[in-house]
Amino acid sequence: MTDRDFHAYVLPRWAPEPSGLRSIDAGAAPTVRCPEADAVWMDALVSGLRDRATVAGSSGGGEPGIRTPVSDPVERARKLGAVGRRFLDPDDRVRRECLELLPRGSGLSAPMAEAVLDGMAADWTPERLERLLREEFGDPLPLGRFVRRRERSVMAVAPGLCVQLVAGSVPGVGVNALLRSLLLGAPTLLKPGLGDAVLPVLFARALAEEAPELADRLAVVYWPGGETANEDAALGRADTVVVYGSDHTVATLERRAPRKSRFVAYPHREGVGVVGRAALGTEASARGCAEDVARATAMFDQRGCVSPRVVYVEVPERDAEGSGRHAEGSETPQGPADFARLLAQAFSVLEGRLPSGALERLERSGIQQLRGTAEMLAAGSAGGPAEPWVGHGGAASWTVVYDPHLGLESNCVGRAVVVRPFRTLDELFGRLAPVGPHLQTVGVAGLGDRLVEVAESLGRLGASRVTSFATVPFPSPWWHHDGRGPLWDLVRWVDLERSGDEADGA
Amino acid sequence: MCRVYIRAAIEIGIATQTTTSMTTESFKDDPSALLRDLVSAMRMGVAGSWSEDRFEALALRAFRHQFEANGPYRAFCEGRGSTPATVKAWTDVPAVPVAAFKAVELVCGRPHDAEIVFRTSGTTRGGRARGAHFVPSLEIYRASLIPPFRAHVVPDLDRIRFVSLVPAPSDLPDSSLSFMVDAAAQRFASEIAWGVDGEGALDEDALVRALHAAERAGDPVLLLGTAFAFVHALDRTPSPLRSLPPGSRIMETGGFKGRSRELSKPELHALLADRTGVPRERIVNEYGMTELLSQLYEPVLAEGLAGADRHRPPPWLAVRALDPTTLDPMPAGEEGILAFFDLANLGSVCHVLTEDVGSVVDGHVRLVGRTEGAEPRGCSRAMDELMSSVR
Repeated sequence: MTDRDFHAYVLPRWAPEPSGLRSIDAGAAPTVRCPEADAVWMDALVSGLRDRATVAGSSGGGEPGIRTPVSDPVERARKLGAVGRRFLDPDDRVRRECLELLPRGSGLSAPMAEAVLDGMAADWTPERLERLLREEFGDPLPLGRFVRRRERSVMAVAPGLCVQLVAGSVPGVGVNALLRSLLLGAPTLLKPGLGDAVLPVLFARALAEEAPELADRLAVVYWPGGETANEDAALGRADTVVVYGSDHTVATLERRAPRKSRFVAYPHREGVGVVGRAALGTEASARGCAEDVARATAMFDQRGCVSPRVVYVEVPERDAEGSGRHAEGSETPQGPADFARLLAQAFSVLEGRLPSGALERLERSGIQQLRGTAEMLAAGSAGGPAEPWVGHGGAASWTVVYDPHLGLESNCVGRAVVVRPFRTLDELFGRLAPVGPHLQTVGVAGLGDRLVEVAESLGRLGASRVTSFATVPFPSPWWHHDGRGPLWDLVRWVDLERSGDEADGA
Repeated sequence: MCRVYIRAAIEIGIATQTTTSMTTESFKDDPSALLRDLVSAMRMGVAGSWSEDRFEALALRAFRHQFEANGPYRAFCEGRGSTPATVKAWTDVPAVPVAAFKAVELVCGRPHDAEIVFRTSGTTRGGRARGAHFVPSLEIYRASLIPPFRAHVVPDLDRIRFVSLVPAPSDLPDSSLSFMVDAAAQRFASEIAWGVDGEGALDEDALVRALHAAERAGDPVLLLGTAFAFVHALDRTPSPLRSLPPGSRIMETGGFKGRSRELSKPELHALLADRTGVPRERIVNEYGMTELLSQLYEPVLAEGLAGADRHRPPPWLAVRALDPTTLDPMPAGEEGILAFFDLANLGSVCHVLTEDVGSVVDGHVRLVGRTEGAEPRGCSRAMDELMSSVR
């Protein structure tokens, strides 16, 4: 595989061949090949996908005559899960191929690519996918058939064509996306981001081996984002359009999506961390927490919407002046400034185990800006232990800044964390309020019995997930993604209201 | 280990501080003499380049002045062990990241003595810090902006009608771009019409009136604006932009950062040429930023389209492309992040490390647009912000 081109598309058996292929300069071997921009071909492809909806009864589903095994959602979960499990099996060639291609396709280091694959694919098993269905829809499943819910019957109808445009290079997001719509039985066109093309392509190929009847409803096609020929043709036939991307991308695609379609957007978000004093009671506990924060940040080289960039650390109770540092000694509480130094050490160690991948020039430039600015703040201060401080890994991207005076903004990706102190919860919420609407995952530690109170406030500010740092990178499949149900977002509900004798039916 | 790194840096700083004060004593330069020398050198114009020695001598004098007079910068330099005693070449003068203009008041002398403070526009999120460029003396800014403007925008006419899609300084008093357009207008405009208010909203009536008047008189027009303002004006139906009299030209700036990036620069220039009848080789792109008082221009009026896609700095501005990881200089022609040494920045910091990517050949800069690089990756808002910082 090494020297061959990577074909960043997988088509169903029945689909017309593209009129031609082109090479995309991804800056790294292997060369990425994808279909030429061709609105006519794309229209034929999405029209064919739409036709699958009616052939297999996935959207109507109710007529017993045309039911096939694939129209049973649990059966779909099992078949999709059987494919997903292959990504976890060390002896399976799908996993081996994936581990070979993923680092070059995503820019992640090989150990990081493996960690990301393990974290993502753990949720692609039959058990997890079946649980996703149950968590979202309860039991029995109202998918394609009416199910009695109190005084009415309800049925969830899948879209006739779900077109999903997935942006970034958090590898695995594309497969998560296609699993959602395929679980519902919706014919799906997935356009992955260039850095996340490997996993959906390998998934679609393996699906064709495991469950060809399901693979007939899935097309994975890469094209450079924003290319209107393919994009408009694809959007034109969609019932549901799902977009992962920047505010700009989301706004552009929303304008171009057909009015009648449902538009589901996952815009870019911010992750932050909150470390309460209970995690900082001793140097050992603070060190353990710093290791969790480092790992949560480093995963996907900080490109996830879940990845923290700023970590707020509580000043210990006895530190009235808020100096941030405490007397030497392993049994004394650690302050925010100590925590920043422990975090730097944790990054340094982690770099050996999970090396950072290649960063883009712009990303490296951003890190230089942060380091240089932090260096200036540190140089201008009195140089005391609680003053601004920066530690970094030189050529390795990790950078920790202790920012007691809130003078810094970080727009970095890679592994860069700004540590800020807070004394009261009100102060913390005040600081987070301006980013509230963009907040997503908040990693927490050491909040003790204040956890629920803090989570409620964070939720009101805009956060949609509060979790321990260890679980920050990989939310469960049924998480309320950006505050909404991952499958609920895609279905249309039908209510059947009956009275009297009729009510005994469904 | 990191602690050691920082402590060592601080110790070096402290150790060198004493030696420097002694050394700088013997090299004491009168800041007003330096200002005078620079201003008179700038007034000689941009024709020809300065010798390495001439630039070096002025650059080292500027560094000595800034080391003495700019407290935060001095601490930064001392932290790196760089003092006027150790620095022998302008390339060794510590470069300050543009982001530091948001965090620190980088000015020679007291901030509140500054004649003006230019601020960067807000970022994608409201309420965040804006970069501030304190300018102790506007004399050098005026002296530095006029000759390049003359050479690249109005080389052929004494005066010309200005129609500006950049807000007037009265509407946007802390914009360096508004100040620059106004200063250029005072020297080169027969009259000026401001077609955009402080909020960035088009004043279509004013714009149409000004363009009509020029048309009736048959006078050439200089139309100035940011890429974003032009896109905005072109998007209006009917567009207030119309065919301009012969001899007209356009100065477009602001790059393709932020909201205007729906359109590439060639696309925008083609649209502008189509709508106004101003040929592509009379559409001049200017590159500047709040943190640098000097500007660079594409020399298309002198060199035609061959001069497009590379920006010429004035002789008092040196530029290098640096490796984004090591900050070592890249070989000529290879792309890196751009660092500028701008003598017009005498009152703040001359050596500035930008976030922009480009290459340098024969002193010209070839910018790599932020959208022309790799596709932005990831779903963190960090990348959005990086992509959308604007002047």
